Amino acid sequence: MTPASAPSRERGLAFRMALFILTSTTLLFGIAFGYNYVYSRDLVLKHVRENATHLTESLVGRIEARLLSVEQMPRHLALQLDNRNVTRHNLLAMIASLVAGSRDVFGSTVAFEPYAMEPGVRHYAPYVYRDRGGGVVTTQLGGAHYNYFIWDWYSIPRHLNRPVWSEPYFDEGGGNILMATYSHPFYEVSTGRPVFRGVVTADVSLEELRLAIGAVSLYRSGYAFLISRTGQFLAHPEARRIMRDSIFSLAEELALPALRRVGRQMIRGQEGFFSFSDARGEPFFLYFAPVPATGWAVGVVIPERELYADISALNRTVLLIGAAGFSLLSLVVVFISRSITRPLKSLVGATTEIARGNLDVTLPRMAVKDEVGQLSRSVDEMRLALKEYIHHLTETTRARERIESELKIARSIQMSFLPKRFPPFPERHEFDIFAVLEPAKEVGGDLYDFFFLDDTHLFFSIGDVSDKGVPAALFMAVTKTLMKGIAEQRIEPSEVLKRVNGELCQGNDSSMFVTLFCAVLDLRNGRLRYSNAGHNPPLLLRLGHEPQWMALPPGLVLGGMEEAVYQTRELILSPGDRLLLYTDGVTEAMDASATLYAEARLLDQARAAGPGGTEALVTQVLESVRRFSAGAPQSDDITMLALTYRGPGTS
Amino acid sequence: MECVSQKQGQTITIKVTGRMDAVTAPGFEKACAEWIDRGEKDLAVDLSGLEYISSAGLRAILGTGKTLKTRGGSLIFGGMSPMVREVFEISGFAAIFPVYDSLESALAAR
Repeated sequence: MTPASAPSRERGLAFRMALFILTSTTLLFGIAFGYNYVYSRDLVLKHVRENATHLTESLVGRIEARLLSVEQMPRHLALQLDNRNVTRHNLLAMIASLVAGSRDVFGSTVAFEPYAMEPGVRHYAPYVYRDRGGGVVTTQLGGAHYNYFIWDWYSIPRHLNRPVWSEPYFDEGGGNILMATYSHPFYEVSTGRPVFRGVVTADVSLEELRLAIGAVSLYRSGYAFLISRTGQFLAHPEARRIMRDSIFSLAEELALPALRRVGRQMIRGQEGFFSFSDARGEPFFLYFAPVPATGWAVGVVIPERELYADISALNRTVLLIGAAGFSLLSLVVVFISRSITRPLKSLVGATTEIARGNLDVTLPRMAVKDEVGQLSRSVDEMRLALKEYIHHLTETTRARERIESELKIARSIQMSFLPKRFPPFPERHEFDIFAVLEPAKEVGGDLYDFFFLDDTHLFFSIGDVSDKGVPAALFMAVTKTLMKGIAEQRIEPSEVLKRVNGELCQGNDSSMFVTLFCAVLDLRNGRLRYSNAGHNPPLLLRLGHEPQWMALPPGLVLGGMEEAVYQTRELILSPGDRLLLYTDGVTEAMDASATLYAEARLLDQARAAGPGGTEALVTQVLESVRRFSAGAPQSDDITMLALTYRGPGTS
Repeated sequence: MECVSQKQGQTITIKVTGRMDAVTAPGFEKACAEWIDRGEKDLAVDLSGLEYISSAGLRAILGTGKTLKTRGGSLIFGGMSPMVREVFEISGFAAIFPVYDSLESALAAR
């Protein structure tokens, strides 16, 4: 687990579910939203271009229509003047009718070439115009102070041989209105080649155009403007710019070199779409188109922000819906995951309790039959099974503990039968005796015993009951008691065994038996009389000799058959001779691989022990057995009895 | 321990292999008891495969022998290893049960 991923793993299922679902939903929503935004933006942009184009075209159309309608009249008059001489009177009437023909025509003149109207009249240009009161006034232009031949309105059409719109201008005298003059040349063509005779002019008010264009409003703050051939603003929503600023000075003012480029394109009569940002970084779109008749150009400006206002509103709505959906989805996810994890959590709580050992915990009731419900039921079954098992185990353990404690008591009673105080007869120096009974875990049936028959005769015995447990312990107790009672009658060891056998065979249906070796030692002379009932032969350790097994008379185990007979044998012990009696717990002790300790090892160990006290001999053999069976459990009692004859008269 | 028994003529032969101790001896006793309950009286036990016999094993043999004796039957042994033979000798079992060198000679002696 990497540290980075640790928190989400440590957090619950609900958290992870919510995280994954909400993350992917947000991602999907984001993609859809982004696509929608880009697509709708493109769509809006397209519409705006179309709208701006239409608007511009319609504006251009309106301007042109107006200008063309105004152009009609001077052209018509010019045609009338071609090849014709008119009287002063007629001429004035014609001019006055032109002025009256349109409200937009502010004034008009017919200016002749020198001497073209009348010989001797160098300047002839009667000017008819509307005065402030609405009346029509006539005046003569030209003279020494006003040599109109060199003025643009006259000289340009003359040189170009075509009608010309002048640059617009403010007419100071006419009430500060925007004007432009249309000059149409007329000719004398009767001589073949047309000869320029003069121009017909009409001063046209552009106020209405200016107002119409200035009034154009697009979106919230979009507007239209009109520039002249030199880039001067003819119409602009900001009235102060009209005729004072040009698109180039505006570009300068706003520090927008791009606008200057656009301005150049505009006065060149091009058409285009352009996007730029103003000084405040506010982006705008600009669409522009020329007015061919005059060489002017119309521009339409739309703030981008307003273009996208609808989209922004839509986006806000979509985002709002998205956020609401997200919240709703979060709630749903949390609800679903809670509904899954809540029972799981309570289940976890319950199982933790169970793990702690509280098996009486009540598992949450699951109404649902889903996997969690199944799990809960399984856990409950497990809990009940565990509870039953532990109950059973407790019972069993208790019962076993009771049995074990009873066995322990039985064991201690059994052990209390045996003489365990050594040395047992500290006042006797003719012999030395030592015995040990190393009980197995279970109550076994080994026994040993020794006692004086009289002052000079020591009786001793060792035996092994064929079974284990309480019956064997009882059998052993009976045997020992019987033997002591019978031996004290001062009879031969074989007779002792025969009588004990007879008693033990009475009603012994369980075929339990005991092997037994018993002997009587005459302490005065070392004479040992002994008999055997199926017991292992003791080791005879004569001083200065190799250890040897005692030769035993045949004899059946006690309790086997009533008719069994036993024999007594005799040998003489010399002072220093020793006897080692043992049960098969010694020779049949096993190591971990079930190898027997066996007689050979016993013999070796007895030899290795060398001459020494009985306690040392027994202890050394016992330790050797323990070493041998290290780790393997002791399955049988280990019993040994050692006796050294020291000889008479040492007392 | 493993007990394989079969009827050969009037005699039930039981071959014992392995170890006969407190754990396994009841198995031997039960195998014998099943035959005896069916009325069989003559059992010959082949001990050539017996590795070890404890006092519990002896007790099982003694129990079986006593049962057969009360019913007028017989329990004979054949084919003992020296160690098992020694146990038989020491315990005096060799004196109360007929012991032969092999099962064949035991059956032949019958």
